[in-house]
Amino acid sequence: MSTKGTQIPDWLKVPFAGITPAPTQEKGQDLFPTGNWRSIRPVYRDKLPPCNNACGTNEKIQGYLDLVKRGKYLDAYALIKEDMPFPSVTGRVCYHPCEQACNRGKYDEAISIRAVERFLGDLGQALAKDVVKPGEPNGKKVAVVGSGPAGHSAAYQLARLGYAVTIFEKSPKAGGLNRGGIPDWVLPQDVLDREIERLVELGITIKTNVEAGKDVTWEQLKKDFDACVLAVGLIDPNSVRAEGENKEGVHYGLPFLRDIGMGTSKVKLGARVAVIGGGNTAIDCAREALRQGALEVTMITVEAHPQEMPASPEDLHDMLEEGVELMHGRAVTAVLGNGRIDALQLHPAKFSGAINASPINVDKAAKPERFAVDNVIIAIGQRASLKWLPDEFKTERGTIKIDRFGRLGDTNFFAAGDVVQLGSGQPLMVVNAVGDGKRVAFNLDKVMRGEKLEPRTIPVDVIFDLNRMNMTYFPHFPRVKQELLPPTSRRKTQEEVIQAYTEEQAVAEAARCFSCGTCNACDNCYLVCPEPCIVRDVRSNGLYKILVDYCKGCRVCIEECPTGCLEGVPELDFETGVVRMDTAFAISPGLHGRQADELKHIGDRPAKNI
Amino acid sequence: MATATDAKKRMVRINGCVASAQAAKYADVDVIAAYPIRPYTATMMALAQMVANGELDAEYIVADSEHSQLSISHGASSSGARVFTGSSGVGVQFAYELYSPISGSRMPVQMMIADRTLDPPGDFGSEHTDALSTRDMGWLMGWSCDAQEAFDNHLIAYRIGEDPRVLLPQMVCQDGFFVSHITGDVELPDTGQVKEFLPPYKHPYPLDPRHPVSHGPQIMPEQGPPLQLERARAMEESMPVIEQVHEEFAKIFGRKYDAWLEEFMADDAEVVFFLQGAHAVTARFAIKHMRDRGMKVGMVRLRTIRPYPTERVREALSKFKVVGVIETNMGLGSVSSGGVLYSEVCAALYESDKRPLVLSFMAGMGGEAIVLKEFYWMTEKMLEAQKRGKIEKRTHWVGFEH
Repeated sequence: MSTKGTQIPDWLKVPFAGITPAPTQEKGQDLFPTGNWRSIRPVYRDKLPPCNNACGTNEKIQGYLDLVKRGKYLDAYALIKEDMPFPSVTGRVCYHPCEQACNRGKYDEAISIRAVERFLGDLGQALAKDVVKPGEPNGKKVAVVGSGPAGHSAAYQLARLGYAVTIFEKSPKAGGLNRGGIPDWVLPQDVLDREIERLVELGITIKTNVEAGKDVTWEQLKKDFDACVLAVGLIDPNSVRAEGENKEGVHYGLPFLRDIGMGTSKVKLGARVAVIGGGNTAIDCAREALRQGALEVTMITVEAHPQEMPASPEDLHDMLEEGVELMHGRAVTAVLGNGRIDALQLHPAKFSGAINASPINVDKAAKPERFAVDNVIIAIGQRASLKWLPDEFKTERGTIKIDRFGRLGDTNFFAAGDVVQLGSGQPLMVVNAVGDGKRVAFNLDKVMRGEKLEPRTIPVDVIFDLNRMNMTYFPHFPRVKQELLPPTSRRKTQEEVIQAYTEEQAVAEAARCFSCGTCNACDNCYLVCPEPCIVRDVRSNGLYKILVDYCKGCRVCIEECPTGCLEGVPELDFETGVVRMDTAFAISPGLHGRQADELKHIGDRPAKNI
Repeated sequence: MATATDAKKRMVRINGCVASAQAAKYADVDVIAAYPIRPYTATMMALAQMVANGELDAEYIVADSEHSQLSISHGASSSGARVFTGSSGVGVQFAYELYSPISGSRMPVQMMIADRTLDPPGDFGSEHTDALSTRDMGWLMGWSCDAQEAFDNHLIAYRIGEDPRVLLPQMVCQDGFFVSHITGDVELPDTGQVKEFLPPYKHPYPLDPRHPVSHGPQIMPEQGPPLQLERARAMEESMPVIEQVHEEFAKIFGRKYDAWLEEFMADDAEVVFFLQGAHAVTARFAIKHMRDRGMKVGMVRLRTIRPYPTERVREALSKFKVVGVIETNMGLGSVSSGGVLYSEVCAALYESDKRPLVLSFMAGMGGEAIVLKEFYWMTEKMLEAQKRGKIEKRTHWVGFEH
């Protein structure tokens, strides 16, 4: 017999006819380590989803949408709370830059992220005890001046880091712009109250009716606290610099909204009201004017078209539905009337340069227009009130001068929110102030711990190109719409206009998420792998394991990854000379490997010795 | 599990195709993969009837080609089923890809083959080239010469192939028409005899979701040779098993076959025919005819070509002066420019002290019968060579030479 006396060396012995145990069993794929045929290796490399990237406070949006999709609401709420102290507020008021960035917007309709955030925020509001706990006390005291979005956020993060935080608020009630700048029909007061209570539950002391510079001075802050965050916001309204602006019946946007919000408003509007300005506050003022009894509300803007207005298109749409009129391309040049306003004098006007950000050119030569009104509300932005601050920390724009980390020189004072962001090119909005507050809190913490502040250097990869994902896995599916009160009835009440998602709606909407560039444990790689080299003992995000001893680099999982988080990385990087392959070209004690070793030592040996 | 209808031993008059179908029924097969091609089709027709009328409880799968037939068989066998399939001629060729993987994964699939000439152009006649062309793919292979032997060989092949020492697929071949379509007396056994002879099939590592295993994974180049060596070992180590099974078959069924060779009037013969399959039946008649006229001629019929009984062939043929190989197959441009059997014979004889002269006869080609006068003609050629002590030429195309 020709096979008589044959022997198979131990290292090449395999089970019967090459039949192997399952990969999950002992030895599994070890018997046939064909992974060394591979020239590329699939690697789970999560990108930053564009929504997370666009969010002012970098909420982990993809993460909580995925958790909502899986019904893990409390986990989702805990995740959102890492970056956002009050999702119930931003879930109502945010101008959602995330939704503008959402890749789904290029495909059918962007995910209604804000509505899901509100769903989670309301869930948090209903909890008897919040999931967030204060940090281990570190014995340091921090003052936060201002309880608006930036101050709230900074105080919240500092409390979580273990600081003893005291908030000073000028008004009788905490909340800042959240309270004073946002009408009840967008954000009911009790929602905000609950979020302020959460701060108190974290051990934060809130002192109201304390004005910086008057009731508490720069020196006192310096003496009584280890550090301080100034988040005083923009308080003084800008004027239109028109003749007769001091007449009775002339109001300013934020104070108008604030007094109504605080319940201290004495304003009685007439039948005809004009609102000056084209931004979001102007829209809120116009819609509030209707609710305060005005019959005809006209919005007068320098912008020539609605598209040019620096406002949320949804809010503009809802405003027009409620019956507010638009008048474009005009500037107020005088407030007419005998002691009390009875008309506005208007001239044609346009921006001299970039829209919304350049001086206005008024065509004074044109024939003035008379526009009869009973009241005017001027809402063209605010400025800071910083008389009490040492001059060295003021900018020419009248804001606080900070370094890139939000710090005032080398002091332990930091500043955050609108008071530093005005004029920075960053749109002024709640979520940006929250993000600012968060980052400043972390920077402050570093300084307190004696660490060096260094700018972030890790490059961020964000998927903007749909071709980096596998779109065949995403059928077109329309956005779940939030219900709105009908325009005719809502224009007369303070009831919330936009209605909350039901649980089913929130889940359905969260399920639309592409999870751009981030593993959402969809199991597709596990299913399509032609060899069983993807294991999922733990089925959660990014926790698949690729058995590289066996993966031959066929790319099927990479091509079929819906989210684009799987990438092919070359095993032999010829440019850098890095050999990533961990199995070389033969199994470790293999024939090829041995021969290569022997060839090195063959020298001039005679044939019989080879 | 399927059960053949309990039956007592009885004689029936059936053709080779039906005999094969009966054998599959008695073997209580679990899966049948069918696709029609003449002349084996009648086997699948008979089995379809048996499944339809409840005689046999098996999965009868009509494939969309021979390639699928063998793929189905491979998968079914991997899951632990006893599988029966079959084909003829170009159908055998079309499934070629599967032969090595099936034997490589050691799946004892059984394939019935009723030979048919390969094209061109379509010829329904028998020629052994279809199955012989796959002879080195790791399948056990042998030819029957009549319906009874066909029936018996199917049961014997299952028993050998499924033996845990062997685990190899089997091609059970019969000549198209000469066996497949000619009716003869066949003894169908008692069901109890078959149960005693052929235990249920049990693969050691079947595909089973409760105990997952991988069959046929990709391997490293250096892992190939050990697997090939093991397949070669299985082929060689099957030889004692084959002999043992034939003995047990004789004990249980009362029909004794030599596992490797049938020798007919060979004891005192000086020249012999060496052949496979159905032409042995006419050869026996012709040899008796010639013996009556004093010609010392005999026959050695090869029953099992894979594994090839080299030693037995050498021992059996060394005692003759001339061996005439009746090919019934094509080996174009081969050693003898005739058929492929010649080289198998010569290779076996090469190490013999007394090497007979060997001639190759291209006879029975295209499904033609080999007639009496052609046996005389071939015998004359062998006797001439014996007289002269050397051959005139290696290969003779019978019927085309004087």
